[in-house]
Amino acid sequence: MSLIRRLVFGVNPRRTAVRILVLAAISFATFKWLLIPIRTEGSSMLPTYAPDQIRLVNRLAYRWAVPGRGDIVAIQMAGPHVLYVKRVIGLPGERVAISEGAVTINGSALTEPYVKHRRAWDVPEVTLGPAEYFVMGDNRGMSVGDHDFGRVDLPRILGKVVF
Amino acid sequence: MLRRLAIVAAALAALAAAAWYITQTPDEGDPIRKRLQAFAYEVNNSTVDGLGTEARAAKLGAFFTEDAEVDLGRGAAPIKGRETLIGMAGRLQPRTSAFSLRFEDITVAMAPGGQAADVHLTAEFIRRSITTGDQSLDAREFTIDMRRVENEWRMHRVTAVDTLK
Repeated sequence: MSLIRRLVFGVNPRRTAVRILVLAAISFATFKWLLIPIRTEGSSMLPTYAPDQIRLVNRLAYRWAVPGRGDIVAIQMAGPHVLYVKRVIGLPGERVAISEGAVTINGSALTEPYVKHRRAWDVPEVTLGPAEYFVMGDNRGMSVGDHDFGRVDLPRILGKVVF
Repeated sequence: MLRRLAIVAAALAALAAAAWYITQTPDEGDPIRKRLQAFAYEVNNSTVDGLGTEARAAKLGAFFTEDAEVDLGRGAAPIKGRETLIGMAGRLQPRTSAFSLRFEDITVAMAPGGQAADVHLTAEFIRRSITTGDQSLDAREFTIDMRRVENEWRMHRVTAVDTLK
């Protein structure tokens, strides 16, 4: 009996209670403000992310850095509860176009090893503004009309999807 | 050491409690949020209740002003007038799939005088196929110009926002 009690409450129950409280507070703060858990929906990020998976968004990733090409980012709509999850394709100031499904940046073809299926999408060239990024999902096997992609302003990027 | 840990834990708990209190405190935008949630409830109910199609459409129409305008963007022409909206709602045939609408992240900015408000929200549309059970989700961002007419908050201008341009 005393062994079970010692395993549950520790040698010093007061100290154990404080430890639990600290752990609970740190967990709450971490998953509320730093690493936000999200559940993926839809097929636009296949095959990298399947639907109904739990992922984490690092909200501090772009506090002292800027998104890089290939980063998977969470983009907020009216608030942080519904997010787009997309990959950064184009960086500020770049010219992005899609021809026969192939992405070009400033006229050069972009290598995209994460894209497994590709349809012949055609998107006219756009020049990104000083704080604009071009984002797309990895599933290019969808119809172009069913896939949300395009330019996004930096303040809308909530963080980097890390797991 | 123990005392220091306890102080840190108490401070974090107080911070969390303050954040919770701020998000829970009622504000002047609450009646508008409730009105929008009531609209979503009516939309969701309309696919399953036994009300006649026309009565159902009229009930939904009451959430809009007489000269309401709904612009869904993406090249679609704006829908103008409550009567047009009622007509469209009446023609909806939810036979093959159940449809549900949910509003998230509703922010309300009241205009001076309290008779109008600008609302910004994300609308989630969830379609569930009755035959296959498959579920698909679509989300869109909207701004809504709300007006207080006959003591009721009504949607005057609904405009889709392109999150990705």
